[in-house]
Amino acid sequence: MRKYLFIFKTQIISNLQYVGNVLIGFIGNFVMLFILFNLWKYLYSDPSELINGYNMFQMTWYVIITELLWMSLGGRKLVGKISEDVITGNVAYNINKPYSYVGYVLATHLGDIFIKSIVLSILFMITGLVFLGGFPSLTLVNVLVIILTMILATVISTLFASSIGLLAFFFENSRSFWWLYSKFILILGTIFPIEFFPGVLQKILSFSPVFVSSYGPAKLFVDFSWSTAWEILLAQLIYLAISYGICEFIYRKGVRKINVNGG
Amino acid sequence: MLTEVKKQLKVSLLSVKYGFMREALNKASLFSSIFFMIINNSCMIVQWIVLFSLKDNFGGYSFKEVLLLWGLAASTYGVSRFFFRKSFNLSQTIVSGALDNYIVQPKSVLLSAIISECEPSALGDIIFGYIMYFMYGFKIHTFILFTLFTITGGLMIVAVAVILGSLSFWLTNSDQIADVGNSLVTNFATYPDGIFKGVARMMLYTIIPVGITNFIPARAIISFNPTLLLINIGATILFILTAFAIFYRGLRRYSSSNLMNARV
Repeated sequence: MRKYLFIFKTQIISNLQYVGNVLIGFIGNFVMLFILFNLWKYLYSDPSELINGYNMFQMTWYVIITELLWMSLGGRKLVGKISEDVITGNVAYNINKPYSYVGYVLATHLGDIFIKSIVLSILFMITGLVFLGGFPSLTLVNVLVIILTMILATVISTLFASSIGLLAFFFENSRSFWWLYSKFILILGTIFPIEFFPGVLQKILSFSPVFVSSYGPAKLFVDFSWSTAWEILLAQLIYLAISYGICEFIYRKGVRKINVNGG
Repeated sequence: MLTEVKKQLKVSLLSVKYGFMREALNKASLFSSIFFMIINNSCMIVQWIVLFSLKDNFGGYSFKEVLLLWGLAASTYGVSRFFFRKSFNLSQTIVSGALDNYIVQPKSVLLSAIISECEPSALGDIIFGYIMYFMYGFKIHTFILFTLFTITGGLMIVAVAVILGSLSFWLTNSDQIADVGNSLVTNFATYPDGIFKGVARMMLYTIIPVGITNFIPARAIISFNPTLLLINIGATILFILTAFAIFYRGLRRYSSSNLMNARV
């Protein structure tokens, strides 16, 4: 565990110099939030009106949290980096290293996005405050639980993105799978809460990655209850094991296909 | 002069052709990326099905009209990325000194630099755009208009990318500004302009020209108005001329970077 913490720390330090880039990149994030804010403002003729159990204040905060989770993740970059490593053969350098490749990828990526996530969290909260004039009423313990679910959501999403990147062992164009996965999460979990979909789909979605990586933390932020919190944390722990298992399985299966010629 | 334009056009088309042939070497990869791009774009229809289940009309657009808007956004994006992929990396080309490769060529430096690569998955965007158009409803005259607006919109997106990319002649690290600027055009293009008000709406017709690339064409297709067509064509020409002027103005300041590489 110590070596992974060291990798994590090293990545954080090397990313400190890119805070400026995060600030410029936030302009694009802000525009997306602005578009969605306008969309919901247009949809809610009266801010106190309830649509599928959400008023405009809750709906906008829901989108802010899900967008924050998604934009901090940097999934496309991670998938691109891993598939490039696989295609170019760079992944071979990791085979004889004294660490698990999946653990290494996880520690590196979480270190890479640590500073970005903190800076974006502050900026997104300020944006929400400017748009809506206030936060949902939460206690300090509630906030800590929400932060924990957001961290778990990011770890799970990182593992899923890594699994998709590792598909490059079997398919030349693994990025296409990321496009589909990202649209699945964006449409079914980021722009709308699960409650906006038909009953049957709601049941399916509550067992899908959408529930743990996007919907869960945002739902807690806008409508906190301890029963929902335990349900989400339990689902996240199960998904953590599943996503790690899938990632490790694809890596072990794929790494057998490596042929190293020369050196 | 006409012969010169003809020759330049021929060279440009050959460049696109060879760029595509390079990408098409692996047929399975080519077709899968096109197919996945179509599926990827189709997912967004779900978003609008949900939204239209809550309200009949969005900013003056019916469901079919939103599909048309989506179609225009996808096809203009596709044209810009398929034919002029490198215009979105112009900053890096300038900063890394890779512009040297194009300066020594006897044709337009800008055109050579931006058409040297093509994005095969963008074909999926163009196909998706036309699928959306057919879902909106086919008529000969609207089909011609849709094709015309696909070309003008694509060219305008490229012109914006060139203007933003050319900032690298004067500013360091302007690639991030270019990326943000380019993403603004794409992000706004798929939402009806009627949901925006005041300054935001005004910006969509000026600084972020998505109003001219998408909203005006959509309106012209829904109900033909020659003035809208002229505005679109006039604005496209203006943006292209501005892009050329800024790029060549900046090129005077360009001073290589001793980059040694070989183009294959």
